[in-house]
Amino acid sequence: MKLNFKKQISTLALVTGFAATASMSLAGECRVAEASMDKPGGFPDRALTMIVPYGPGGGSGQVAAAMAEAVTELTGVSINRDHKPGGSGTVGMTAYMAAPADGYNVLEHIDDASSAHALDSSRPNPAEDLIPLVVSQVTFSQIYIRSNETRYTDWPSFVEWVQAQNGKATIANVSKEGSMERVIMKFITDASDMQIQQISFDKGAPRYGALLGGQVDALFEQPGDVRKFLDAGNFKPILTVFNERPGVFSDVPTHREMGMDFEPLLRFRGFYVHKDAPSDRVDWLKWAFQRAYCEDSYQAFNDSKFMNVIDSYRDTAGAIDMINAAIVQYRDVYKEMGLDVK
Amino acid sequence: MIENFLAGSATLFGDPFTIGIFIFGVLGGMLFGAIPGVSMLTLAAILLPFTADLSPAQGVMLFAVIYCTGTYGGAITAILFNIPGAPENAPTAFDGYPMTQKGMAGKAVGAAVLCSAIGGVASALVMMSATEPLAQWAIMNIGPPEIFALVFFGLAVASSVGGRTIWKGWLSVLLGLLIATIGQDPVGGINRFNFGYSDLAAGIAFVPAILGFFAVSEIFIQAEKNVSGKYSAPKFNVDFPSFFELWAHKIAVVRSIFVGFFCGILPGIGATLAAFMGYGEAVRWSKDKNEFGTGKLEGVISSETANNAATGAAMIPLLALGLPGGALTAMMVAVFQMHDLEPGPLVFYNSPELIWIVFAAMFYANLSILFVGLIETKTILYLLKIPFQFLAPMILMLASIGAYISRGLVLDVIVMFIAGIIGFLLRRSGYSIPGIVLGLILGKIGEQNFAQGMQMVHYDLGTYFSRPICTILIVAGVLTLLKSLHSAFFQKTKIS
Repeated sequence: MKLNFKKQISTLALVTGFAATASMSLAGECRVAEASMDKPGGFPDRALTMIVPYGPGGGSGQVAAAMAEAVTELTGVSINRDHKPGGSGTVGMTAYMAAPADGYNVLEHIDDASSAHALDSSRPNPAEDLIPLVVSQVTFSQIYIRSNETRYTDWPSFVEWVQAQNGKATIANVSKEGSMERVIMKFITDASDMQIQQISFDKGAPRYGALLGGQVDALFEQPGDVRKFLDAGNFKPILTVFNERPGVFSDVPTHREMGMDFEPLLRFRGFYVHKDAPSDRVDWLKWAFQRAYCEDSYQAFNDSKFMNVIDSYRDTAGAIDMINAAIVQYRDVYKEMGLDVK
Repeated sequence: MIENFLAGSATLFGDPFTIGIFIFGVLGGMLFGAIPGVSMLTLAAILLPFTADLSPAQGVMLFAVIYCTGTYGGAITAILFNIPGAPENAPTAFDGYPMTQKGMAGKAVGAAVLCSAIGGVASALVMMSATEPLAQWAIMNIGPPEIFALVFFGLAVASSVGGRTIWKGWLSVLLGLLIATIGQDPVGGINRFNFGYSDLAAGIAFVPAILGFFAVSEIFIQAEKNVSGKYSAPKFNVDFPSFFELWAHKIAVVRSIFVGFFCGILPGIGATLAAFMGYGEAVRWSKDKNEFGTGKLEGVISSETANNAATGAAMIPLLALGLPGGALTAMMVAVFQMHDLEPGPLVFYNSPELIWIVFAAMFYANLSILFVGLIETKTILYLLKIPFQFLAPMILMLASIGAYISRGLVLDVIVMFIAGIIGFLLRRSGYSIPGIVLGLILGKIGEQNFAQGMQMVHYDLGTYFSRPICTILIVAGVLTLLKSLHSAFFQKTKIS
């Protein structure tokens, strides 16, 4: 079944993709003027707890650590990170929703929370059941091959080679049902008229090792996660799934340039507080997390992860727009894919 | 190599602050490894932000040292109280705890100390001499089909561990495999057997299951004996194994070093599989299979040698390719990145001094296990003198805390007590607790790699046999299975 890609380009989707493109020049800039803010009623007078629904070594664990450090540097308030991995973020989200909504508990989560709600509306909506404090990482996906690969060297030759394999070609990604990776790969394979076997690796190391060792033919990933392999010359990107060529990947064609007319889904990581938390505390938390984004330590972290290639920052309003756009887009795609949208 | 090693040693011991970090890592790893529920990962997570204030070499070295000693630390409680500090120490309890009940705790702990040190030191030496070629070999030749075949090979021997009959051993393994299917499937992310309960989407966690099956069921059994007047306290004994006792197991040690090293070098696998495979191979090659699970020294030796042999091996894909072998090595990546470094091929050229201080620290950390462990052993064994009526509540409390704090979920405490009750009933009926745990842990690893492997071979199982390593492991596993069935049908073998 071919998807009607043009239908995917909804007005809300434009907020996600095109807005990110248009604001590439703002990447890494600080947009919170106030350098300090009085604590409302003494809040917080003890350490905050940050629930992280993934393990400490992955992308979420690392951004949680970097943001916690930046908030502490800025405010002097400690943040204890409580990792609750499992169920694609479900376990952490459930634990967070059961925690007291007093402002002392905050949540780190990624776009999986939005896609989970899109698939099953009984799951918490990050834009309604939670208040986004800040989205501090927004990134795009790419397709990588080994740098020393000789069977294909760029996107057109890769497509030609994959088509000749009659579905035997393989690509490593995280292809769980409804995941951003699976949806984008559906877009790509339909638009390129090719069949490729997706191999799902939920951990990064085996996923990258599979490409390094030639167990798979290509890799779907975000650039920050494979930066060390790019810097070491092990991998090279052959396709960027974004509307414009980001500066550091100016020699890599985008999917649109390769004739694929769909709106890219983005990976984003952010920090949230429960909607029932006291409003004055929420305001202080918004300031602390949005201003912490400007801290040198956090900016250095984002730079190291290619997270300032496009605009990685969304304040509360921007984050709500992005989440709502993502939910609408995912829901449309799921329906077209024949998934059971509840 | 020797020149680099000496230079790394000089850097390590040339600065008092660096020595302090090293000692802290040795003691901290042992302590956190020994406490159920918390682990070396807990300590590493606490320390991660502070490594920003250390030099890159000090930060990575600290984590490497914690990795070595933390892997050993959980063996003590596994042997003394049937409480494995971490999943990689679970096979140690299979024979270690029965040895304690027989008044041989000193021998078991002494063997664990010595063999952890030997496995770790041997692994560190291989790591120092051949990191880059070994990493390249592993990554080119071992994929999901081979890992699945390795797990199948390991499971094939499981029926003969701890069950009253081979059939009960197999039923125990199958129960473990069934429990491993709870939660999201590892490829499609589809919920299975979670009954709409979101906390179960992540499946049954290893820590509460192990605590329940081992520690809680043991408390119930001892309590029953206490009530019926059949309880006898473990005999207090601090006799270490003699040189000749250990020398008699030299082949088991060497075999476990190879097994542990092989498992450790595989990205994403690590020490847990190493310990189970090391134990399984000891059973496979032993003439006295029926003695495993009843307090056989070789069981402790094989498990503890293998899990520490995995520590040095796990550093190989990390340092040479940037691929972490487990959770702690993944956190080491974060330490590298906090200092604007990336583990991988370039680090050998850009930061050779860092590499060699880490190599040297791991070597000395494994040696430290020997000395600190022996001193620790002489004191910790006195815990066995505590009367059961005081010891049992302490263990239950410790286990409950351990089950809860590993993920902060009440569900895990409930799972622990359910596992304890099931374990209690099954043990009375002659089923195998090691078999259940083996099925649970290897089942998760095996299913994931089987599914990935099937995707890679386009759902053509025959293609598995076009891969030589995969073929050898599957054939060996099938032969082991057939031998087991032959024993069950024709020899009416009674075990344990």
